[in-house]
Amino acid sequence: MTDRRVVALTVNGEDRHADLEDRTTLADALRDELGCTSVHLGCEQGACGACTVLLDGAPVRSCVVLAAQADTCSVVTLEGLAPPDGWHPIQVAFRDAHSFQCGFCTPGFVLTTYAALVDQPQLNEAEIRAALSGNLCRCTGYQSIVDGVALVVERLQGAPPPPPGAAVVDP
Amino acid sequence: MEDDRLLAGRGHFIADVRVPGLLHAAFARSPYPHARLRGVDVRAARAAPGVAAVFTAADLRDRTVEMRLGAPPQLARPGFGPLAAEKVRFVGDPVAIVVAESRALAEDAAELVELDDDPLDPIATIADALDPTRPALFDEVGSNVLYREHRTHGDPTGAFAAAHDVVSLTFRQHRQANAPLEGRGAVAEFSPETGELMYHAAHQNPHALRFALATLLNHPADLVTVRCGDIGGSFGQKAYPSREDIALGAAAIALGRSVAWIEDRSENLLAAGQARDEILDVDAAVTADGVVLGLRVRMTLDQGAYQLTTLPPTVVPTIVRVLLPGPYRIEHLDFDATVVATNKATYVAYRGPWEAETWVRERLLDVVARRVGVEPIEVRRRNLYDTTDFPRRLVTGPTMASVTARETLERAAELVDVAAFRVEQRAARDHGRYLGFGVATFIEPAPGPPDYRAAIGAGAAPRSAQRAVAHLDADGTVVVTTSQSPHGQGHETTLAQLAADALDVDLTQVRVVHGDTRHTPFNLVGTGGSRAATLASGAVLGATRELADQARRLVAHHLEADPADVEVRAGRVQVRGTPGAGMTLAEVAAASTTQPRPPEVHSALTSSFDFGIPDGGWSQATHCCWVEVDVETGLVRISRYLVVEDCGEMINPAIVEGQVRGGVAQGIAGVLYEWAAYGDDAQPLAASFVDYLLPTASEIPPIEIEHLESPPQGPIDFRGVGEGGAIGAPAALTNAIEDALAPFGVVVTEQYLPPARILELIGVLA
Repeated sequence: MTDRRVVALTVNGEDRHADLEDRTTLADALRDELGCTSVHLGCEQGACGACTVLLDGAPVRSCVVLAAQADTCSVVTLEGLAPPDGWHPIQVAFRDAHSFQCGFCTPGFVLTTYAALVDQPQLNEAEIRAALSGNLCRCTGYQSIVDGVALVVERLQGAPPPPPGAAVVDP
Repeated sequence: MEDDRLLAGRGHFIADVRVPGLLHAAFARSPYPHARLRGVDVRAARAAPGVAAVFTAADLRDRTVEMRLGAPPQLARPGFGPLAAEKVRFVGDPVAIVVAESRALAEDAAELVELDDDPLDPIATIADALDPTRPALFDEVGSNVLYREHRTHGDPTGAFAAAHDVVSLTFRQHRQANAPLEGRGAVAEFSPETGELMYHAAHQNPHALRFALATLLNHPADLVTVRCGDIGGSFGQKAYPSREDIALGAAAIALGRSVAWIEDRSENLLAAGQARDEILDVDAAVTADGVVLGLRVRMTLDQGAYQLTTLPPTVVPTIVRVLLPGPYRIEHLDFDATVVATNKATYVAYRGPWEAETWVRERLLDVVARRVGVEPIEVRRRNLYDTTDFPRRLVTGPTMASVTARETLERAAELVDVAAFRVEQRAARDHGRYLGFGVATFIEPAPGPPDYRAAIGAGAAPRSAQRAVAHLDADGTVVVTTSQSPHGQGHETTLAQLAADALDVDLTQVRVVHGDTRHTPFNLVGTGGSRAATLASGAVLGATRELADQARRLVAHHLEADPADVEVRAGRVQVRGTPGAGMTLAEVAAASTTQPRPPEVHSALTSSFDFGIPDGGWSQATHCCWVEVDVETGLVRISRYLVVEDCGEMINPAIVEGQVRGGVAQGIAGVLYEWAAYGDDAQPLAASFVDYLLPTASEIPPIEIEHLESPPQGPIDFRGVGEGGAIGAPAALTNAIEDALAPFGVVVTEQYLPPARILELIGVLA
């Protein structure tokens, strides 16, 4: 299990590479080698969704993707959703709607929401619940998260969410 | 505040802690539920790549002190070590700690640890534990029955003699897991040069953990610090010094290195603690009108294998006994409590640990209502105290004052058209659809009155005053330190709100410091048992008001003004009506260290305030739940859920509602989805989120909340709401399910009702 390889990928818009054991998961590579500690490991079995990242734009559970599979790909974590000096509208809506408590599952919910709204910017409540149903939250009972997504849907008025790194919303 | 940090992905959780030269630990755990250990072979593990060391119980024996609960004396309290020595007692029992260059290498090596075992009969159930022919888990006890207690309140014999009817039911509450999204973990940062142990943890009670580390590692206490960052939920699970903590600390000291341990999900579900595993045999003495005169209860609790060293399992049956009458006129109670040991994970507190009192009482009231032929709301009206009956003492001891449980029921009755529902229910049944309505009313000690502590007795976690310290820093920042250790409750926000109000500054000018035992006031209990809303809030208000008073006195002294004429307003301390005459808070901070000051004003403005438990302290609620049960699939759909609650004045309604909804979701999940199941061989059956089913956004319904917010009874009367949601929901939901299934004559006496069980109850499945 000690074969190694260099994996080259784009992380939040920056070209990065890491020398990794072949078995290294994308989540471990992002957390331990690439400084993206917003990627939270809640189950390491692909069940909870806390480690969700965007891999070439699609949401994946980075705990069940090998880093090697992400070679040459583009990865977005929560750190890269908004530029360093701003907020993405999803983050602002989540704050306004109190869409989290302990915050451990939040990065996964924000990125899952982003991907869902890229797919379909006009989600009703049932569709929001379905879109979020692959992510577990143990604190909120989900209603405030559903409210947060509904709020961003309302604010974007049918437009897709701004792409990662683009949107600066004043807090 | 915590919000921006967490939303930006900049939270600092235990797995994010990095220290130089860090090694990583993994535990080798027993795959057997019950066996005598002849040996643990770690030779292959020690030779594995990247391994720094492997420690077994024998290796740690001289480095650790035996772990053993201190009280109560009537409970058998067997001792044990951080790692299993002569026996393994549950699947997941740690037998060795492997320390390696990475977590992956440590896990690889842990798999190479071999146990030489001699299997013993598993103790898988309470019935097994009560069977004297089965082997005892702990030789020093010689029995798996660890505790029996009998208590009588009032005159239960007289109550039963006067009864028109006796209702007898056996209630079973299944084992559940707290399952915070973040598992347990710690980083033992050890400096061999100084002997300092900086123990980074995700923990509800940092000071208690520090005491335990110093004591159990026999390490000088002044060299031990516990430091918590953000915590990814706990719900009662990360509240004790664990065996893993002690093994980790011992390994770090032995190696002279820093070592991290981050639990994985299987470990969390197998070994981090489970809760709610109880059987209650209940007899109720009832009048012809459905008034409950008295109760006889025999409660048996399955504590699992190893006890916590800081919270005895007896606390739960004791609190169940004390709170069982609740806000009702139940004044005669006979209560037997038994605690048994089985080959399962340790019993821990889980959100509203005593919730069985509400579930059993509220289930029973519905059974009585059906026998007497009245609505569930009516049977509660006949049994609840009136508001004018308070203050009075529960027959079990604590004083009930400012209890508005009855008002929550009456408000619910206004919001709920039961008559219309009955019409709809009958019509639906004609079409093969089964609708049900359930209600539950309860009180919650949040934190309870001063005599509550005496009622729940020795061994319970102390319910002492909480201290806060407020300090005006050089730049005018108000720094508030608290012994709370928040993990999702938003205390950085609520406590900052109170401080900001007291000093009339913006929230951004307040910093709340928590979780670091070097800085925070000592208290054995941090966050838990609704200590924050009343006690920590009261302490912060007291400390910051005192700080504002000191600032006023200092400025008055400086300006030769009367302190009564000086106000703190918008970040300035100034003469009322003459805003130009005054100082900013930063100037006040500077003046306090450099300028003459009156004797009652401290240098470097600091104030400390202890807030003790006030009278009252009860939260209350009525939960209403509507369901439809599909009798072909056994699926239960919750069509509406309403909570009418009264926690007094709210500091932050969004946080209150989040706590209520989160608790209700856990209560619902406990009934419909979650079971920390074990087979008859004591093998665990739910070691991943594929088997231990947490509900998603598709399963948990919207939850309506109506606040009564009765006026404060004292200067500070915020009450907690963290546990009530989880206390009321199992009762309201199981009541609704029984109501839906009434045509089948079903009486619900177990709490876990997945589809297969529903189909069994209505006779579709054998």
